[in-house]
Amino acid sequence: MLRRAVLQTFRQGLAQSFFKRNAVSLSETTVTHQPIETSDEADEKSVSKQKPGDESGNTVVVAPPEFRFMYPEFLPDPAMERRNRLKEKLERIDMLQRRSVVEIPEFYTGSVMAVTVADANSPNKFARFVGICIQRGGSGLRAWFILRNVVDKQGVEILYEMYCPLIQKIEVLRLERRLDESLLYLRDALPEYSTFPLDMEPERRLNNSVVPINPLKVKLRPRPWLERWERQNLQGVEDLNLPQRFYDKAEKVAKPWEKYDLMLQYRKTIPAEEQEKIFADVHSQLQQQEFKRKIRRRRGTD
Amino acid sequence: MSTLGLLRTLFNSKIVTPNAIQLQSLNRSPFLVGLFFNHEQVRTMSRVKRRTTHPPYWHVLKNNQRQDEKISSDNLRFVREVIQDKYKNKSPIKGSDLDIEKKEWDPKTKRSGVIARNIGVQHMWEKDGKKVVCTVLHVLDNHVIRYVPPEEYAKSIIGAKVFRNRKPLGCLVVGAEAANPDRFTRQYCSLFNEVGLLPKKRLARFIVTPNAVLPPCTPLTAGHFVVGQAVDVYGKTIDYGFQGVVKRWGFKGGPASHGATKFHRRGGTIGTGRDKARVWPGQKMPGHMGSERRFCRGLKIVRINMKYNVIYVKGTVPGPTNSIVQIFDTLLPRRKFTEAPPHPTYFPPEDGTLPQEDIWDSNMHVFGSPSISV
Repeated sequence: MLRRAVLQTFRQGLAQSFFKRNAVSLSETTVTHQPIETSDEADEKSVSKQKPGDESGNTVVVAPPEFRFMYPEFLPDPAMERRNRLKEKLERIDMLQRRSVVEIPEFYTGSVMAVTVADANSPNKFARFVGICIQRGGSGLRAWFILRNVVDKQGVEILYEMYCPLIQKIEVLRLERRLDESLLYLRDALPEYSTFPLDMEPERRLNNSVVPINPLKVKLRPRPWLERWERQNLQGVEDLNLPQRFYDKAEKVAKPWEKYDLMLQYRKTIPAEEQEKIFADVHSQLQQQEFKRKIRRRRGTD
Repeated sequence: MSTLGLLRTLFNSKIVTPNAIQLQSLNRSPFLVGLFFNHEQVRTMSRVKRRTTHPPYWHVLKNNQRQDEKISSDNLRFVREVIQDKYKNKSPIKGSDLDIEKKEWDPKTKRSGVIARNIGVQHMWEKDGKKVVCTVLHVLDNHVIRYVPPEEYAKSIIGAKVFRNRKPLGCLVVGAEAANPDRFTRQYCSLFNEVGLLPKKRLARFIVTPNAVLPPCTPLTAGHFVVGQAVDVYGKTIDYGFQGVVKRWGFKGGPASHGATKFHRRGGTIGTGRDKARVWPGQKMPGHMGSERRFCRGLKIVRINMKYNVIYVKGTVPGPTNSIVQIFDTLLPRRKFTEAPPHPTYFPPEDGTLPQEDIWDSNMHVFGSPSISV
């Protein structure tokens, strides 16, 4: 069992720095409404901010900026050649329809989750798998995530499509983030870092508003590795202790100018104005669904 | 005996004179191909021009040269009002002077097709949990422009070729995507003067039997098709530009290492040196790839959204996203209609009731319904 490091909770705003890769041009441009990082707002995480008003004098409801990280699959693929507003709108409608049936909770890479899937070949027709989310991707109905666990000393990874109707239930047992966006290095890490008990109970969070970042540094097995981890600027990995020539080669091969390339970031992301529109559209529906679920839970029918 | 001589004696059932060379009726069984075929390449289409960048000579000039006209905003508004007044869209369904005769449907009827835009690909699931890749086709604002009766169409250039040895059929000209008349030439706009419609960006011809004729100005929508039917989609494939032999023809190229000097993605030999002693026409070489008109036949419609005029078709269609395609009822004999479809096209019910917004195929899992339990 992993020894629990001290969990530090950061303010939501600082979390943006960890998502620099995805949102560097956006964090500067989204200054349309007040940021949520103030101390009194910390309790209401999913409160909808109201814009000071447009021309007609009515307040416009805008989704909180964390939606970009909570529901990244609502944003379409940024490649301009394949974008079509009508198709994205129809896909979002379908996604919300599916979400009204199954609760797809907020989760991040590094969260421990349990997924129940309908399986014809298993004894009681349902298969439940518990694992840590090491990667998530895809947009729209193609959104997927990979869960990893070590079962009987064998590492197992399963890719689940979030909107597949065979999925009966998605539970988040431990909601937290890690220092990296992709935890693929767990494949080369010591097995204890990927092992989670299959009968793990959901953990209750102390502070409900902020998602904690686990600053765990993982120990890797000795080489050979599946990838050249020294070239990937991993934060969540302990010192690799490699000979200097590896680091020299990594420096030679590195592209340090990419962080200054504004056009590259622009092409990889959806513009802030569009994001606002999309999430404003989606926000009200998600809130309604959440409300209905709370009522059902209180009544005890869930 | 030459290769061709051998081929002639083995494959041709008729007695052929030595001068006649028959390449069309060749048996391509694997055993014989390995033995007698040096080049397994189709040569009959090698001299046909596959693509042009200009339209046919009988088309009128379409697009206007964009001139930087310095008009004041008031005058611009006035021009727009004039255009709107001139092109008030007529709908024959709501009591106009055009009459639609409801003729009977029979299995040999050819209905009109529809112009649509391929807006992307979406994943859907069947009732047993199997994932299906569906193409989303957005039926644009189609209107029938004119009908050319069979006798007249058979006299035209294309009609004469198509109906050389068979009974002629009529031709419906359908237009889609209304646009500002400013961007088109006067000759192009005159094509739409009879109907009184705003000029359309795209035009297409659909071969129809006389009993499926539609009067001009009839709108065609997604309801023209039925969920579960098979359609053929006709479009222009993705333009890859000038491509090498590995991507274009699937050649294996050469070894990546082991001392190979400058031979990684090349074609290699292009002839024997003995037989014919020249490069055969149709030899596969680098060249322009893509941007060709192709059919995808027998695609099944799994879902129709009447509100947004969108059809979901199982499989993929030729062409990139946001390109225009033509959809029509399939000609595959086993997947044709057995019952009458909306004939000659779909008309909304006269009592004003709205149709069902989202129609799904019985095999598909509807997103709002409970999860599948196997």
